[in-house]
Amino acid sequence: MGSQKRIAKELSELVESPPAGISVELADEANLYEWKVHMKGPEGSPYQGGVFLLKLSLPTAYPFKPPTVSFATKIYHPNVTNDEKGSMCLGMLRADEWKPSSKISAVLQFARQLLAEPMPDDAIEGRIAEQYRNDRQRYDEVAREWTRKHAAHQ
Amino acid sequence: MADNGDRVFCHACGGVWSRADSDLTCPHCESDFTEIIEIPPDPDTPPPEQDPEPRTPPINPWADHNPWDRDEAAGPRPFGFMDSGSPGYSQHTYRSPDGRFTFSSTTIGGGYSSRQSAATAPTNPLLPMMFEGLNALFQGLQETHEPHEARSPGLDDPFMAHSSSWPNIDPGVSNAHAGHEGLFPRDTDRAQPMTPPVASLADLLEAFRTDFGGPRQQGRHGARGVAGPNPLAMLSALLNMDRNGDAVYSQEELDRVISQLIDHNNSGTAPPPASDSAIRSLPTKKVDREMLGSDGKAECSICMDAVELDTEVTVLPCTHWFHYTCIEAWLTQHNTCPHCRRGIDSVECTGEGTSENPVIIEDSSEAPSSGRRRRRSSPFSLRSSRSSGSRSTPQSPTPESSEPRNRRGSRGSRGSRSERGGITGWVWSRFGGSNE
Repeated sequence: MGSQKRIAKELSELVESPPAGISVELADEANLYEWKVHMKGPEGSPYQGGVFLLKLSLPTAYPFKPPTVSFATKIYHPNVTNDEKGSMCLGMLRADEWKPSSKISAVLQFARQLLAEPMPDDAIEGRIAEQYRNDRQRYDEVAREWTRKHAAHQ
Repeated sequence: MADNGDRVFCHACGGVWSRADSDLTCPHCESDFTEIIEIPPDPDTPPPEQDPEPRTPPINPWADHNPWDRDEAAGPRPFGFMDSGSPGYSQHTYRSPDGRFTFSSTTIGGGYSSRQSAATAPTNPLLPMMFEGLNALFQGLQETHEPHEARSPGLDDPFMAHSSSWPNIDPGVSNAHAGHEGLFPRDTDRAQPMTPPVASLADLLEAFRTDFGGPRQQGRHGARGVAGPNPLAMLSALLNMDRNGDAVYSQEELDRVISQLIDHNNSGTAPPPASDSAIRSLPTKKVDREMLGSDGKAECSICMDAVELDTEVTVLPCTHWFHYTCIEAWLTQHNTCPHCRRGIDSVECTGEGTSENPVIIEDSSEAPSSGRRRRRSSPFSLRSSRSSGSRSTPQSPTPESSEPRNRRGSRGSRGSRSERGGITGWVWSRFGGSNE
C-alpha cells in the first residue's frame, strides 16, 4: 500500500535524523499506524525539563487524511485539552486544512513549537488561554508545576 | 381545602363519612387515624358546589356562569350515571381507571353540549393549579401558532373560538360544539384534557406538531390519522422545536449540536472533489533535468517516492506535479493542489507570464518553453517562490489593472489560504517551506 510505504519512509527518516527534542517509535512494531512520540519541553518554556509522551495515529487513508496527535502526558497548555484525551488543537491537522504533502516531521515540529508559543487565540482550554494572556506569571508557574509533576524525566 | 365537602376515611374502622364539622375524629369508632379523601364521592351525595372562581382565560364570558344552576333547575339528579330522561339534557360520568378522578359531562337543552369535568372536591391544591397552568400554556400556544384557525369558526363568540382552538378529544363532541350556538361552559380549571388521557395527549401533541412544522394536515381530525407513533418523541421534538433552535436542554443535545456544527463546518470549508474529467484532462509531462533540481533528486510529495528522470508525472495548474495515481487519489476528494492548495480548475490563472504569475504550464506536455522560469530545484521551492510572489504583488503596481484583480479575486476565494490568519497560517508560514 502506498500509505504504508510513505509512512515507513517517514518513520525511518525521523528515526535516522530526528528533529530537535523529538524522538519517535512505533507503539507496536507490527502496526505502522500508531506512533509513540517523546517530546522534550522546549528550552525557555515552562515545559523545559519535561518529556512528554504523545500519541500519533495515522489513518489508513494517510496521507490523504491527517494524522491525529494527542498528549498522553498531562500538560497545562491552552491548546491541549485538559482531560484524559489530551487532544491537541492543531489547525494543520484539521480535515479541511490538511495537505498530503505535509510530513509527520512537520506536524511534530509544529506541536513542539506550540509548546514554546501557545496560541491562546486558538485555545481549546479557554481558561488557560485567559490566564496565559492576563497572568503569564501564574500560567508559567502552573505549567512548570504540572511539568514537574507529570512530565519529569527520570 | 378542608371545607364541608370533604369526605373522611377512617383507617381504624374503615368508615367513610362526610365531614360536616371541622372534627377529624371518626364518629363511629372515635379514632383519629383518619384521612381526608377526595374521590370517589359518596354516590348518594351530589358533588359539592363549585364556587365560581376566576377562570382562565379571563375573556371567557361564561366565566361566572354556574352550570349547576341549571342542574338544580332541572331537579336534583343522581350523580354517576347517564341520564337521558329530560329532553335535551344528558349527563355522563367517567371515572378514571384508578378511581381517583371522576369527570362528568353534561349536555343541556337542544345542543347545549359541554364537558363539565369536575374533579370533585379536590383536596390537592396543586392539581387545579397545574391544570390551570397547562390550560393557559396550551391556549397561549394555540393562539400564537394558530390564530387564524382559532378565530375562524365563530369570531363573534370568544368561547367558541376558544373551544375550537382545542384539539378535541371526541370528534362528535367537537362537532356538537360547532353546530350549536349556545355552549355550556367548560370548566377550564379542571381536568378537561385528561378524558381520555392518552388520546388527549396524543391529539394535543399532534396539533402542536402540525402547528410547529410541516404542512398543515387536513384539519385537526385529518391530522389525527397521522399521529406520530410516539407522543414522547413528539414532545421531545416540540421541546427542541424540531431541532431548529439552538436552545438545548441536555448535555447530549448540546453535544449533538456541536458535532453537527463541526461536521457542517468541515464539509463546508473543505474543498469539494474534482470532477473526473478535470482530473483526466490534467497535463502530464516527463520529468526533466530541471524539475529534478540541482541535487538531481525529486520526489512525489504524496507518496514521497523518489522520481526518476523521464518519469511521467501529472502537472497541476500551479505547476506542482505528482504521480498520476497519487494526485488522482487526492483530487477525487478535494480539487486543490495538495501542496499549495490552489484550485486545479483555475487554469486560466496560469495563462500568461505576469509579474504575479510568471509560471506557465504548457498545454502540450512536451514543449519546453525556453524563456520561462524553469530553474526550480523541486516542486517545493517552486511553491515558496510562488507564495512570496503572490504576497508581494498586490502592493506593487501592475500594468494590467483589471486582469490581476480578477486573479486576485479568484485566489482570494480559493488560493489565498497561504495568507490565512490563525493557527493554520502560522503553521504554513512556519513549516510550510520546510517540507523538502
